Amino acid sequence: MKNPYFSKDTAEPLQAYLLWGIFITLALTSISWLLRQVLTPSNILLLYMLGVFFVALRFGFWPSIFATLTIIPAFAYFFAPPIFSLAIDDQENLIGLLLLLSVAGVTSNLAKKIRHQAYMAEQREWRASVLYSLSKELAEASKEKEIIEIGVRYIYAEFGGQNTFIFPDEKGQLTYPIEAALDISLKGVNLGVATWVFDHGEIAGNSAESFPNEPALYVPVNGVKGTIGVIALGLESIKIKDFLSEQKQLLDTYVYQIVHTLERAQSAEVAKDAILKMQSETLRNSLLSSISHDLRTPLATIVGAASTLETDGAFLDEHSKRKLVTVISEEAQRMSDLTIKILEMARLEGGEVVLNRQWYAPEEIVGSALQRLDKKLKNRPITIHMPDNLALIQIDAVLLQQVMVNLLDNADKYSPVGLPIDISVVTMPLGLFITIADRGPGIPEQFHQKIFDKFFRVNDECAQSGVGLGLSICKAIIEAHGEEIRVSNRNGGGALFQVYLPLLELPPVINEEVSEFIV
Amino acid sequence: MSVNKALLLLIEDDPQFQMLLSTTLENQGYQIVTATTGKEGLIVVRNQQPNLIVLDLGLPDIDGQEVIRSLRKWSEIPIIVLSARHQENEITQALDNGADDYLTKPFSTAVLISRIKALLRRVTKIPGGSQEYFQVGEIKIELTKRLVLVGEREVSLTPIEFKLLSILIRHAGFVVTHRQLLEQVWGASYIEHSHYLRIYMGHLRHKLEADPARPKYLLTEAGVGYRLQDGG
Repeated sequence: MKNPYFSKDTAEPLQAYLLWGIFITLALTSISWLLRQVLTPSNILLLYMLGVFFVALRFGFWPSIFATLTIIPAFAYFFAPPIFSLAIDDQENLIGLLLLLSVAGVTSNLAKKIRHQAYMAEQREWRASVLYSLSKELAEASKEKEIIEIGVRYIYAEFGGQNTFIFPDEKGQLTYPIEAALDISLKGVNLGVATWVFDHGEIAGNSAESFPNEPALYVPVNGVKGTIGVIALGLESIKIKDFLSEQKQLLDTYVYQIVHTLERAQSAEVAKDAILKMQSETLRNSLLSSISHDLRTPLATIVGAASTLETDGAFLDEHSKRKLVTVISEEAQRMSDLTIKILEMARLEGGEVVLNRQWYAPEEIVGSALQRLDKKLKNRPITIHMPDNLALIQIDAVLLQQVMVNLLDNADKYSPVGLPIDISVVTMPLGLFITIADRGPGIPEQFHQKIFDKFFRVNDECAQSGVGLGLSICKAIIEAHGEEIRVSNRNGGGALFQVYLPLLELPPVINEEVSEFIV
Repeated sequence: MSVNKALLLLIEDDPQFQMLLSTTLENQGYQIVTATTGKEGLIVVRNQQPNLIVLDLGLPDIDGQEVIRSLRKWSEIPIIVLSARHQENEITQALDNGADDYLTKPFSTAVLISRIKALLRRVTKIPGGSQEYFQVGEIKIELTKRLVLVGEREVSLTPIEFKLLSILIRHAGFVVTHRQLLEQVWGASYIEHSHYLRIYMGHLRHKLEADPARPKYLLTEAGVGYRLQDGG
């Protein structure tokens, strides 16, 4: 999209237009000559006036004046008696010719103004549409790199010069752009001039007052808090001093729009950081409160029991000693579980986790989770519905096992002893569902979203509740996989957790073994 | 060499944890020698020739992996590594480097003791020689006859399935990493093709386990490898 009106006024082919003036006069003279029996000289004058109008409107002021000047001798010679002489006898014709002259002068002037206005209107319309599309593109851009690319593109389209944006680094020194240059990026920027512009906030280079011999133009990028960078614009054919005022304005408007968007993007970034900071602050606070409550209680028990054994060990009977030791062991186990969960959550939140996707059999995911909870689930009936020969699926086995363990652990924790946990795997065309369902109290509808929040517990007072991190860990892991987890309540009571694992690519094929069986 | 008089080397830098382990293990009748750094540990191994090493992977001087590598250059001494959770990569690497078993902290000392016993038993039971017979639960395998029985039922295995199973039997009770299995069954060029292992492991489970989704014998150690339950 290149500006078609760029430097239009200076480029009009004036001489060709003057010829048009002569041509119109010639044409009208010929027509009038052929119709001289029908037309009176005043009619012919009107016809000429029509011609002058046309030339004035179509070709501008000077061609119409030129046409008028050629009309005078043509009229005097061919139509005003005495014919074939430049003399004019009839007073009426003389007055008519004078009138034609003055009308031509006035209309030419008017036409000139109209033409100028039309040009301005077109120019304005063009600018409006360019600015509209610029602001539309800028509005959709959110990253600094995108914004700058858009800016470079638009400035190139408008001014026809390769250009680039230069910003200061962390130390405040202007540096060459780090990103790969576009085709239309200006190369070979003079950083010295750019730095001067950056420091002074004034335009320089390319025939401007400062550094007039520098070929490229350096324009300061002025933001709310002063100059934030410099645009270097390579102008080969034109000079800044020849810029029309609209062009200067347009350049200013472009820069303003781009700066505005850049600053908006930066402040959005700052706001995002602030929110993240706030969230981590909240997390830290909840972490502290949960540590103080959930870890201090078992710790108090351990310290108490251990000190009793330490000081009064000699006076305690074997049975009491056993009881104290069991308490220490159980509470330490509880603390260990909590610590692991908190660390796990911190690890997931910290973005440290890199998925190690490998092909795994779904039955192995379920199997290894059950194996890890072997002791806990010893007395719990478990039913597993799973088709044979399930296709392999690409997952991070360690993390997904954690999800299954947490879900099974919850199912066990929140459903009465002896009621079954049902596990099922259902294949879909593009993935599979793993469902873990219990016969516990279920989860009230209003908490179906909230239960995945960190530190949220449906029943805060419940002694069985953990720290409220198990499901948040599940959610974080599942989301890292780009997968889905949801909860619903079962018919007949109980909670049902469903994990959807999409099939990202077809499972690899293996070279089948030669079917030589051992007997 | 009597098992109970075995000399164990603990390479662990935390003094409290070292104290706990040595007290517990001394009570089991083992002789204990300790080291707090990897280099010290290596010197102790040369001078005192312990029967087994318990090695913490997080050491202050040299990397625990380095200790395993330099030991394996000249010694077949059994090594149990201790590691923090979520370090499956570390564990896998340690096992691939030649460690025999691993435990993640925190663990119960009872588990450590049973692992130590199993390792020492393995060393005394098969001094390099091969085993003829393996039994765990209702599974019976006669290795030389290539006969596999589940209860009274004879099961036919393909050569690859049998090879996979026999490697697990050789390391029964201990974890074998994905890499080790792939390399020994299919060859070094298959190390990245872990799906072969998954599929054949699935086959084995379907043939040997009553409920393949809840295996009793062919256990998965997520992110590390597989462990065949030891018959004892």
